[in-house]
Amino acid sequence: MKINVDEIFDVTSFNIDREPHIVLDTQVCVGCDQRGCTNSCPARCYTWSEEDQKMTFVYDGCLECGTCYVVCRQNAFTRWSYPRGGFGVSFRMT
Amino acid sequence: MKRSFDAIVIGAGPAGSSAALTLAKAGLDVALLERGSYPGEKNMFGGVLHRLTALEEHFPEFWNQAPLERHIVKKSLTFLTEESSFNVNFDTQASDRTPYNGYTVYRPRFDRWLADEAVKAGAKLYCGCTVEDLLKDGARITGVKVMRDGGEIKAPVVIAADGVLSFTAKKAGLRRPAFDPAQMAVGVKALIDLPKEVIDDRFGLVRDQGASNELVGCTQGVRGGGFLYTNYDSLSIGLVMHLGSLSESGKTPYDLLNAFMEQPQMAKLLKGGKLLEYSAHLVPEGGYDMIPETHGDGILVAGDAAALCIVTGLNLEGINLATHSGMLAGKAAIEAHQRKDFSKQSLSCYRRMLENSYVMQDLKLYRRTPHMLHNDRIYTQYPELLCGIMDEIYRIDGTPKDTMTKLLMRAVKEKIGLKNMLADVYSGWRAL
Ligand SMILES: Cc1cc2nc3c(=O)[nH]c(=O)nc-3n(C[C@H](O)[C@H](O)[C@H](O)COP(=O)(O)OP(=O)(O)OC[C@H]3O[C@@H](n4cnc5c(N)ncnc54)[C@H](O)[C@@H]3O)c2cc1C
Ligand code: SF4
Ligand code: SF4
Repeated sequence: MKINVDEIFDVTSFNIDREPHIVLDTQVCVGCDQRGCTNSCPARCYTWSEEDQKMTFVYDGCLECGTCYVVCRQNAFTRWSYPRGGFGVSFRMT
Repeated sequence: MKRSFDAIVIGAGPAGSSAALTLAKAGLDVALLERGSYPGEKNMFGGVLHRLTALEEHFPEFWNQAPLERHIVKKSLTFLTEESSFNVNFDTQASDRTPYNGYTVYRPRFDRWLADEAVKAGAKLYCGCTVEDLLKDGARITGVKVMRDGGEIKAPVVIAADGVLSFTAKKAGLRRPAFDPAQMAVGVKALIDLPKEVIDDRFGLVRDQGASNELVGCTQGVRGGGFLYTNYDSLSIGLVMHLGSLSESGKTPYDLLNAFMEQPQMAKLLKGGKLLEYSAHLVPEGGYDMIPETHGDGILVAGDAAALCIVTGLNLEGINLATHSGMLAGKAAIEAHQRKDFSKQSLSCYRRMLENSYVMQDLKLYRRTPHMLHNDRIYTQYPELLCGIMDEIYRIDGTPKDTMTKLLMRAVKEKIGLKNMLADVYSGWRAL
């Protein structure tokens, strides 16, 4: 038994909105000296490619925990809100 | 939707539903707004509901009414290293009698039940309703704007019970615009399916008895700890980690949780289980020094939104403080209605009620704890020290043994240093 965040949809339910609730200005990430979001996000939504010097952010499996919002010291978000009502993660028995 | 109410409560978590219940029972017209499709859909926590004296006012036989899993009779603290564990147990018959001292629960079930009780009392619950902004008249809060249809709902008093990030407290200018990662922790949790009989056997429980276990030393040096709780037929296992420390460590929450679950003594307890759900949430763990302004013109802040949470490493108290503060916020709003005065001055009665209750008094008592917990020795050296000493005491390998004093002194010198140890004992004593 192991948690595989790349297969998060197998164990946690989501109703994904097409309209993202978190919008990241990835340009800011290029100059960031910490990138604490990449390791702290419990759903691995942030991936930094050293080779391409590029940040990729995917909000599909976002658990709406708020870690990235608190950890980012660069104000890299053009939007950080909870999803619209009825969308996003759905915990059934946690 | 365009309507007005006597009061609006944002968030149907334990704080919000307790506020709405209190207001509705007093006959006020209250709207309870929740962003989830049902109350509790977005909420997770470790799993232990401490005794809720505030709710026992409304539900005299709380344990027969709320959807609870097991009542906690065994509490333990474990120091863990990669291959050993040292356990301190507290087991008492008193916890096996009503009123029970604590229970395990599932949030989606518990939160929904509490919100339904508020509805039965007359509150109007709107789910799928994310509050986007506050309506203001100058500095006075006069209502909210919801995301769904841009609709506006008005009320002379708004209770912000929207949890740890409380965007509404921020919009009202009551909390600092940015959080300090050193005052926040993130919790990750795995819910593991196991038959009731297996859980009873492994944890030595009968009937609906439950066990709770807090663990130190399972975070590979990241400041934080682990928990393992028994539900009726599942286990809740997880880690709570300081955000600053986690972020700097470069380690990921899921790798740490996987390693924790694979530690040999833990793996034995989880054996044969199936992963049911994975979840994460923030904990405001800065304690008293993190509390924002709790009231303003036309607004009150309750529960996690006001950072009313106590984390000591032995306990994580949040829901009891949330329900209590929610009820007090409800009472303050009722008093304001009687005075027909919703100014900051009038609503300051809420602050007084909080100060007079165990909520603020306990937060003040544990004021030094968050600072004490910023001591990296706790998370690796002490568990290693304890497990190392136990290993020496029990191991038989043909060499003569040292006296206990010698053993202890040597281990302390090697692992921690005597001066550090004395300083830690002193600060730990003052903080707890
Ligand atoms: C990992 C972890 C372990 C914990 N363990 C324990 C424990 O064992 N025992 C314990 O007592 N406490 C524990 N806690 C703390 C406890 O969960 C919280 O203190 C408690 O949930 C706070 O209740 P609340 O009602 O203030 O906030 P919440 O429970 O967070 O409720 C807030 C509600 O507001 C809603 N909301 C948010 N924003 C909006 C918006 N804009 N519009 C509409 N609705 C909104 C949310 O969907 C949510 O339903 C733990 C917390 C974590 C994260
Ligand atoms: S911490 Fe902020 S700026 Fe830095 S990489 Fe992450 S999101 Fe980008
Ligand atoms: S809110 Fe949590 S899960 Fe979502 S992207 Fe941020 S850190 Fe990851």
